[in-house]
Amino acid sequence: MSVEPTDGPPAAPGPSASPGPSQPSDLATGAYIALVAALGLGLTTYAITTRGLVIDGTLVVLAFVAVLTWWSGPPVDSQFSITFDSIISLAAMALVGPAGAGVVGIISGPLERGPLSMRARVFNLGMTSTYSVLGGYAYIWAGGRTDSTDLRGAEEIIRYVGVPILVADLVQVAVNLVLLVGVIRLSSGEGSMRVRAWQLLRSTGPSYVGYGIVAFLLVVLWEPAALGPASVVLVLAPLLVARWAYAQFAEEAKAHAQALDVLVAAVEAKAPHLVGHSARVAELSGWMGEHLGLRPHTVADTRVAGLLHDLGQTTLPTALVRGTGLGTGSALDTYPARGVEALRGISFLSGSLDAVGRHREALHRPAPGDGPDPALVLGAADEFDLLTAVGTPDGALLAADEAVARLRTAPGMREDVVRALEHALVRRRTTVTP
Amino acid sequence: MRPPVTRPGRPRALAVLGVGALLLLYACWVVGGDLPHLLRLHAATTGAFVAAVAVGELVRLPMPSGREAAPLASASVMGLAVIGLIEGEPPFDVSAAVVVLIVAAGTAVAAVVRRLRGLGVGAGQAAARLLGAGVAAGLARGPAVDGRTLWDVAIDQSVPREVVGLGMVFVATVGVVVETVLTAGVRAERQRSPWPTALRDELGEVAPLTYAVVASGPLVALMAPVFGLASLPAALFPLAITYVAVARYARNRATYRQTIATLSELTERGGYTPPAHAGRVADLSVRIGRVLGMQDDSLREVEYAALLHDLGQISLSEPLPDGATVLAAPHDQHEIAMEGGRIIRAAEALETVAGYVEAQTTRYRQVLELGEPVALASRIIKVANAFDDLTGGRHDPGSVEAAMERIHLGLGYEYDPAVVGALEVATADAPVSRLAEREPAAR
Repeated sequence: MSVEPTDGPPAAPGPSASPGPSQPSDLATGAYIALVAALGLGLTTYAITTRGLVIDGTLVVLAFVAVLTWWSGPPVDSQFSITFDSIISLAAMALVGPAGAGVVGIISGPLERGPLSMRARVFNLGMTSTYSVLGGYAYIWAGGRTDSTDLRGAEEIIRYVGVPILVADLVQVAVNLVLLVGVIRLSSGEGSMRVRAWQLLRSTGPSYVGYGIVAFLLVVLWEPAALGPASVVLVLAPLLVARWAYAQFAEEAKAHAQALDVLVAAVEAKAPHLVGHSARVAELSGWMGEHLGLRPHTVADTRVAGLLHDLGQTTLPTALVRGTGLGTGSALDTYPARGVEALRGISFLSGSLDAVGRHREALHRPAPGDGPDPALVLGAADEFDLLTAVGTPDGALLAADEAVARLRTAPGMREDVVRALEHALVRRRTTVTP
Repeated sequence: MRPPVTRPGRPRALAVLGVGALLLLYACWVVGGDLPHLLRLHAATTGAFVAAVAVGELVRLPMPSGREAAPLASASVMGLAVIGLIEGEPPFDVSAAVVVLIVAAGTAVAAVVRRLRGLGVGAGQAAARLLGAGVAAGLARGPAVDGRTLWDVAIDQSVPREVVGLGMVFVATVGVVVETVLTAGVRAERQRSPWPTALRDELGEVAPLTYAVVASGPLVALMAPVFGLASLPAALFPLAITYVAVARYARNRATYRQTIATLSELTERGGYTPPAHAGRVADLSVRIGRVLGMQDDSLREVEYAALLHDLGQISLSEPLPDGATVLAAPHDQHEIAMEGGRIIRAAEALETVAGYVEAQTTRYRQVLELGEPVALASRIIKVANAFDDLTGGRHDPGSVEAAMERIHLGLGYEYDPAVVGALEVATADAPVSRLAEREPAAR
């Protein structure tokens, strides 16, 4: 499917593929970008001199459509998106060969709507033209025909166009991945190459299979079915709609995230002494989860659990909630279970419910499991914030190291969770929150 | 205060069903004895399209508003309406009646499967689809200009394919529009909203999807001469991507609503408001809004505001008796509404909703005499809330009558007469319409 989650940077040229403006290894990054650009231009020149370049209607239209794709803009805020560059590039390989594809890549690569540094544009030019030329050669190597006008029958068309496009697709993804991981490594200087590559591949790989199929349809309609440039309209129309739907989705997802803040506001209206508590606990829990090496998904669930862990208090009598700061009253002890009950109706929170329900209990009873328990992470973050920022009923606040020391003595506590808390506290001190 | 005459059932739905049935009968009569011969000749093509229509019908797409669309079925139908040469198969040279029969067969298969799974069949929508298919196929295969139909022109390889493609897109557009307009008509009748509003909503929401469908149907027909019947799954692939994208959008909308519903239940769980009160007020507000001709987008905000109208009670130190704000002192009502609005404002995206909640206690008199601008949404929630507080959620004629009488006492002073009028229409057959229309405006 042409779905491109951007928890890693998008593998297609996008703003997150752009090197940051002021990174430590600036010089090395610059050299690398120059190298990639030279590679792309060199490969395109080589393809033109050895195979020749026919500037015909097909090439002009493809270049034009490639230029048009800037209009669709970068997939910035959306978690999912569809990019057309890759489809046009694959179709160009099959319709106008490596040289033509390289030219289209040179034209489309640096174009991207929105603010993008010059270096990012140069890098994208190099990357796009490199994978276009190499993909074009792979297409021919796999038996692909650049003139498929007289092909007839599904079997013949798949053999001489479909399979070669798939091979070209794989080459495109591989080249894309290698070049992109290189620039990310140099500009951000952290993370292992293999993990990066794997993340990128997992998040964008399936999209590229989809792009290959769409490019195949475009080629079949263009040449054997003789529809010519008009095929672009028919094939890409549904994808434009899909893009539109993803954009809507992104907008509503933002609204949805805000709606969680209303739940927090409800807690704070009920219990004014907890203003800011939920947000702080969410931040600490998330950082602790990251430090403990929980999977990204679990980290996100834990963070949300931190945000909503006190929701159960809103279903208790106001006097009871306001009368006590720390969870001591017996009726107040039911709030984790009440929170779970209230949140059960929201399907995407299912991963956070366990931590919400057991965050108090986890402090007092060692968990049977071996790995770090998100409920304990949340419990520690919550207790720390209660001790240091919210205060006991008599208003006493502990210093951070006193609170950590007291947390260590909790029966359910694990040393790695305490260390994660200490690490998160360091991170909090060094992070400037605007 | 029910209207003296109960309206007749649903004439429009009956009309669409009737015309659909007539079309089917006519198609049977036209094809008649040729059917076995045609089935033998076009066995593979027929089978492929029956399967495509059936599968497309079974994987209906829940739209963000809660209505369902079947883009893959629609696109298959439009492909079938215009398809001519098929590589590896005899040319699909048949009358529009055969197209209608194939679509009917696919729809029937889907209907049987849906029934077996205990899902609704949607006869109105099926009839609308059949009529859309009939119109499209009739256009493509029926009227001849200079002795040639569009279909004849399409299989003439000397005609530029762009021209053929344009003609096919035109035919598909007409077919899809017919289907959409009829569906909107049936829906408007069921929801008691004016037809133009329903049509605007229907077209507004499915418009992007419609572009995808009118492009994908012809795509099948244009690929078939070289790619054979494999074109059917292949050419529908981009549409399938669209399907996935829209489904994700719809799912997100659904969880968004779950979050709002969770918020609205907090006061119930705390014993501040009676169980299910917010849900009933939201349901009723949406029905009133529909009668008043409000559109989907506004209805969604009405629904959210109605769900959250009592949120402000969350920080009360003592619950109100029965949680009924209608019986509380005006000053307290106002305080509760303002507190609710303040909490909701934590989300920028819910700004409008917060405003509706805050203004829900304003008396209609203040609108009339002081010219205070109060949104229709707030006036609706005020009436719906009063109705539910007074009936306590009961539907028996006695309770409804008493509540209506009480509301009429405040007509023009407390409540907007137009909204109260719409309340009467909306509650005229409340339990029936609730069964027929399981989806409120925004799911």
